[in-house]
Amino acid sequence: MGSVQDIEIRDAKPEDINSVVELVIRLKRLNEEFDPLFKTRDDIAIHTKEYVESALGSESSVIVVAERKGKVVGVVKADIVDRIFYEPRIEGRIRELYVLPEFRRNGLGKRLIEAIIDRLKNRVDMITAEFPTLNEIAVRFYNKLGFRSIMSNYAIETKSRI
Amino acid sequence: MTSLEEKARYPSILAMKYHPFYKGKIQTALKCPVRSYDDFAIWYTPGVAEPCRAIRNNVDLVFEYTNRANTVAIVTDGSRILGLGDIGPEAGLPVMEGKALLFKYLGGIDAFPIALATKDAEKIIEVVKALEPSFGGINLEDIEKPKCFYILERLRQEMRIPVWHDDQQGTATVTVAAFINAVKFVGKRINDVVVTLIGAGAANIAIARLLIVYGVPPGNLRLVDSKGVLHAEREDVDKLQFQDRWKYEMAIKTNKDRVVGGIPEALKGADVCIAMSRPGPGVIKKEWVSAMADDSIVFACANPIPEIWPWEAKEAGAKIVATGRSDFPNQVNNSLGFPGIFRGALDVRAYTITDEMCLAAAVELARVAEEKGLSEEYILPTMEDWEAYPREATVVAMKAIETGVARINKSRDELYEEAYRKIKVAREQTKLLMEKGFIPPPPE
Repeated sequence: MGSVQDIEIRDAKPEDINSVVELVIRLKRLNEEFDPLFKTRDDIAIHTKEYVESALGSESSVIVVAERKGKVVGVVKADIVDRIFYEPRIEGRIRELYVLPEFRRNGLGKRLIEAIIDRLKNRVDMITAEFPTLNEIAVRFYNKLGFRSIMSNYAIETKSRI
Repeated sequence: MTSLEEKARYPSILAMKYHPFYKGKIQTALKCPVRSYDDFAIWYTPGVAEPCRAIRNNVDLVFEYTNRANTVAIVTDGSRILGLGDIGPEAGLPVMEGKALLFKYLGGIDAFPIALATKDAEKIIEVVKALEPSFGGINLEDIEKPKCFYILERLRQEMRIPVWHDDQQGTATVTVAAFINAVKFVGKRINDVVVTLIGAGAANIAIARLLIVYGVPPGNLRLVDSKGVLHAEREDVDKLQFQDRWKYEMAIKTNKDRVVGGIPEALKGADVCIAMSRPGPGVIKKEWVSAMADDSIVFACANPIPEIWPWEAKEAGAKIVATGRSDFPNQVNNSLGFPGIFRGALDVRAYTITDEMCLAAAVELARVAEEKGLSEEYILPTMEDWEAYPREATVVAMKAIETGVARINKSRDELYEEAYRKIKVAREQTKLLMEKGFIPPPPE
C-alpha cells in the first residue's frame, strides 16, 4: 500500500506530460461512471495530451503534481478565469483533481488543493472547483473542504425525444 | 469420467425421492418434561408470567429462561441459492432446512429457516434487526454480492447478537485452516508465500481478509476476477470504489509486484492457488500449475466440478490439492466451521463473531488435523472427526471472552464440556428417533 510520507508536491514539468495525461484520463473515465453525458471519446488520449500541453505552456493555467519515488501519483489543474460581470472578479477554477486509489484517504487531495491555492492566492480573488454534479466523491470532498455550490449547469440532450 | 458423473448425480436422484417422503428435514421438539397436563400451568399461563416479569426487569435473563441462547435464524432472500442463482425464497427453503439440519446435528443448535419475500437490502436489514429478540444469532445464507457485504456489515454494526454470512466468514475459516496445514506441510513460511486467489467473490474477499489477519502480507496476495489480476492501478479501480468497495480495498493493498494479466500470469511463481470461481474442468490449466513455485498448493473449490481435476493438478506438480468435493481427499467443507463456531459464540452469548474468533477456529481446526497426522491427503479434519466441533467452540468462546465480546464468562473446561454435551445430545436424539421409528427408514 502506498505511503504518503515520501510524497513531494511540486509544479508540473514538461517531462510529466504523459503521467499527467494518464491521470486526467482516469479522472474522465471516473466521471463517465456517474453520468452518461460524460462518456469519454475513443480518441480521448490525443485530446488530453493537447489539453495538458497547452495548459503547461499557458500563463493562465497551473498544474501541480504529487510525486512519489519518481512517479506522479496525483494531479491538480486550475485555470484563471475573468468573471466579467461579477465581483469578486478573478477566479481560480480547479478543473482537474485526481489521486491514484492507493494514495487516497491520506489527505493528499487536500494537500494538492492547498498547494494550488497557495500558488494562485496572489493572482485570484476566489477559488472554485468544477466537476460533474453526480460525482458524489467530489461533492463530498469539496463540501468537506468548505466549498459550496454557486453555479448550476443543467443539460438536456437534443437528440433524445423530450 | 462417466462413472464420476453418475456418482455425482446419485444424491440428486435420492433427494427427489426422500424430500417428498419426509416432507421437511427439521421440526421442533420439547426440551422440558410434560408429566401431566398440570405441567402446562408451569410452562404456560399462569406460571409462565413469572419468568416474563423477571425478564422484563433484566432483559439478559431471556437467555436463562428461554431457548434463545441456542437459536439461530437462517435468513435468505433467495437471490443466490447454491450455484442456481436467483430462484426465489420458496425455492431456497430446502437449502435453508438442510443448513438447519447441519446446525443441529453438528452443533446442537436450533436453527430456523427464514426465507424473505424481498430483495431490497434496506428491507432485509430492517426485518432481520426486528428479529433480534427471538434469536441468539443470525446466519445470512445465499444472498447475492455485493449486497451480502453491505447487509452483513450493517447488521454486524447494528445488532447485539452475532451475524454471520457463511459464504464469507465460514468459507474463509475453513479455507484458512486448510491453508495453515498445507503451508506447514510443504515447509514454507506464511510471510513468504505468494497466494493467488482466483475469483474475487464473497468467499475469496473474505479469505483474503482472514489471511491478512493471520499474517500473510497483503502485498503477497494476488486476486484475479473476470477482468484479470487486481492491482491498484487497474483501469476499473476507481469504479470499484463505489460499486464494490470490498474488492476495491483488496485492489489497493494486494499484488505488490503489480502482476498484470489473467490467471496464468497470476499463478506464475505463486506458492498457493485458492480458486473459488466457476466450475471446471479447464478453468485452471495444467501448464499454469506447472509454472507455480515448487511444492505448490492448489485449492480448486468450485462445485460440482473443480476448476482443475485434482489428478491433473498433481501431475502438473502440485504437492497438495484440495477441492470442495466429499469424494476427493482434502474437502474444504464449510460444515467444518459454522456449527462449532456458532456453538462457541452462543455458549458465551457473544455479541458478535469477530475475525479473530474465526481465526482461532481456523487454527484449532488445523491443529485437530495436525494431531492426527498431516499428509498430502489429510490437511483438514473430516466431519467424522467430530471432536473438532467442541474444540472449535471452546477456542471461539475463549477468544470472545478474551476480547470482551462475550456476555458471560466460563472456564475452558466448562466450555468444552458444555459444547461436547450439547452436540452429543443432538446426535444421540437423532439416533434414538431413528431407532424408535419416529424417523422412519427412507423409501426403497
